[in-house]
Amino acid sequence: MYAGFAQHHDDVFSDSRQPTSSASVGLPLRQAFRQPVGEVKIHDISDKFRRACNALQVGQLIKDESFTLFESIGALEIMDPKMDSGFLLPDETLEDAYDTLTPLLPEEVIGIMDQLLCYEMAWHTGYPLSQTLFTSVYIDKLLWPDPKTVEEAQFYRGHLPEGKRPDALLEVLRAYCLALVKCCDFVIAKIVGRDYFEEEDFCTHTYNRVLLARVPLDVFLRELDAAADMMEDTELEIDCALRDAIISRLSFRRDFLRALDLDCPLEHLSTSWPPILKTLTSISVTQQLGKIVPGSFSTKIQRRLASTVPPRPIVELEFKDAFEKLKQLCIDSEEATRFTTLEPDPLEYQSFLFAYASRSPTPLPYSRSYLATLLFHPQILNATASLPLTDVRTLVFPSSTVLDPKNWAYSPPRNPLAPKPHRLQLALLIDEFIERVGQPYLDFWTALGQNTCRLRRMMTHVITAWDQLQRDAASVDADLMQVITALGVRNEVMESPLEVWVYHKKLWMVEKCILLGFEQDIYLPDEYTGMYHFLSLIVRKRRVVLGSVLAHFSMRATQLDDAKEHNEAPGVTDGALYIASLMKEAEGVQELSAALSSFYSVLLYLNALPTPPRPISTEELRYELRMKPFLALEPPEVPDFLSFQNTIKPYGPYDDPGPELLAQLKHDQSPLWTNIESGVKRAREAFAEVKNMGARNAKTEGVSEAWTKDIKGVLASCVALGVAAAGVRVAIAKMEGEDVKNLGIKVVVPDMGKGTRYAEGWIVGKVVAK
Amino acid sequence: MDNTEASVYLAQFIGKNLRIHTTDDRVFGGQMKCTDKDLNIILALTYEYRAPPADFIREAIAASGNPSVPVTWNSRYVGLVVVPGAHVKKIEFEESVTGRSVVFL
Repeated sequence: MYAGFAQHHDDVFSDSRQPTSSASVGLPLRQAFRQPVGEVKIHDISDKFRRACNALQVGQLIKDESFTLFESIGALEIMDPKMDSGFLLPDETLEDAYDTLTPLLPEEVIGIMDQLLCYEMAWHTGYPLSQTLFTSVYIDKLLWPDPKTVEEAQFYRGHLPEGKRPDALLEVLRAYCLALVKCCDFVIAKIVGRDYFEEEDFCTHTYNRVLLARVPLDVFLRELDAAADMMEDTELEIDCALRDAIISRLSFRRDFLRALDLDCPLEHLSTSWPPILKTLTSISVTQQLGKIVPGSFSTKIQRRLASTVPPRPIVELEFKDAFEKLKQLCIDSEEATRFTTLEPDPLEYQSFLFAYASRSPTPLPYSRSYLATLLFHPQILNATASLPLTDVRTLVFPSSTVLDPKNWAYSPPRNPLAPKPHRLQLALLIDEFIERVGQPYLDFWTALGQNTCRLRRMMTHVITAWDQLQRDAASVDADLMQVITALGVRNEVMESPLEVWVYHKKLWMVEKCILLGFEQDIYLPDEYTGMYHFLSLIVRKRRVVLGSVLAHFSMRATQLDDAKEHNEAPGVTDGALYIASLMKEAEGVQELSAALSSFYSVLLYLNALPTPPRPISTEELRYELRMKPFLALEPPEVPDFLSFQNTIKPYGPYDDPGPELLAQLKHDQSPLWTNIESGVKRAREAFAEVKNMGARNAKTEGVSEAWTKDIKGVLASCVALGVAAAGVRVAIAKMEGEDVKNLGIKVVVPDMGKGTRYAEGWIVGKVVAK
Repeated sequence: MDNTEASVYLAQFIGKNLRIHTTDDRVFGGQMKCTDKDLNIILALTYEYRAPPADFIREAIAASGNPSVPVTWNSRYVGLVVVPGAHVKKIEFEESVTGRSVVFL
């Protein structure tokens, strides 16, 4: 696409007829094939072209057949100041008159370094380089014309007279800028190195500038060290505080560059971030020492960048905000390095990934790529046991013959027509299934590596893939059952184990999808009752699945006990703890979501929830829209509209309820109230139990802190719901007359992401007086 | 020139490389995609060329002592552009020697 990318494939083409003169040595010397660079003839066709155009009719177009109007809209209009980044006002110059060799004050060096840091972080948050770092005149000088060596990357080009050489401070700034450019190079390489990233998060465009990609890391470290030595040189007359401020910036850049290094070995990762966090404080406290140098950044540089977009203003990110982003980047990346210390268990990985995606504020694209690189690191993915297999084993095959390693040691009979040994057949079936699982499993993890907004959207697609997988699992199950029965170990295996495993994971994803919808305010308050109800339906099914799994575990434990297999039994008992923890959690989720659904349904009857006017849509269409991602699932998970309506509107339409509503509202022990109360109580008990069972049994040990915080948040939500329901009851008790629509209360829904919700996915409105 | 003749003449340049000099002394080199009565020209895969600033040229001449010293023009990729007829100063056709199709000038 770009001229600079044109590669010379000269050596690829060889003329086979050329005698290889050095045949005796065996070197395949070839004569390079050169494209005949013909003389290009230029003809001035202005007059005739003009006359021909003149002869055209109005509206007549002479155009390439494949060229469409749609495409033409994308064309930049030359000489239009809003579109043409090369357009100059009458007395405007292309270049700035800024001289990059003018000596700088130490304050100015600090000012420029900090401003560069701001732009660097603005770039990290998604703005293009052209509006951030590439507006720096210094960086532009370093990178253009494209330097062949680091020595050539200077604030000047060509030969300089002796007296004009840059002074020590400029050299220091140069070292800093070079390292900064290399940091960007590392960041881009890390992000595009992932299989999955989206341009909406991060802009990798370098406008045909090469970010010193070929220069190895140690060159930059040397430059930085030399710069630090220069600063420490006692002959340099400079205020002590300023000297320290500059040195701390250099050492920050050094540590940062090392941490971003692509080749950093796994075992050094965790030690590379803490030193940065230490130097950060000294940068923020000395920021006020810096002095802005106005001419050192300019939008005009955009005119020289290869650019198919109109000119855009420089992105200004305040130092305070940029600094917070930087800190967050370092903390998140450091957190990501903990991934390498996790137990090699896919369920631990899953918990870690989910917790990482839910971090607030959302990790920057770089940190997420950083984690994804670790996740898909060969050392982790090629662990001895297949990760999906371990996952399957944990849920449905407690100490089972099906996954006995011995099965894989059988060799097929010599005669291909002879039946294969049963155990070998088992191994082959499992291998087939695991291979089939590979892609959906990877997709699932890829989704978990995104930010939560995209995670929710991607998850709906992953769910569809798993739905397909479920059908395939069922057919493998059928084969499996035959072999198992033939082997005589039918009682060691639960009913359709593989399908159960897939179905459980699928339901888990649907649940997370809905909860993420609440977390991200996808649903409006008057939809809460419906969506929480749907959530409770889904999780009820997962409970049923888990119930059968748990029953199988206890049966297996008894069988092993009876058979005096004391080596195997403890494994099964431990495994059952995980299932029990899952089960309790599912119970909590079901009870709480059902209680919330009833609570919001009451509020709708009381007209206490904001309901926007919706003149064109109907309730049925909206229902279809919400359920769209799940409509095709098999078995069907989405109830039909009418029965759904009947459940969430137990007393008739919200604006015209039946008479029994009033009676129920006023009666202390009516099911309307007791359902909510007992639901909250049961949810609290269930979550408390999950908490007691601990992070280890929930397979969230790697993120136990975040996990504990989440559980506490959910427990607090239960309490809040109890309080809110009581608030409504008090208001009803005080009510005079029968007008339930004007109780004088309203419900304030806490905002998302402000820390006003106890748990982001569990929205509990606060009841206040109107 | 009648309409048919004009259409045939112009159609030959579709997909051919043109250099369009604009009123602000830039040159746009790219493949012609479309033109109309007002001489608006759409170019694809376009590069923008701009002469270096006057004082740069002065310095180059002073340094070399040669009044016709070659200086490199700044160029950059700009992609798909439309040059409005009002700003077209000169149109040049790049005839490549290796090109097979013949254009009747």
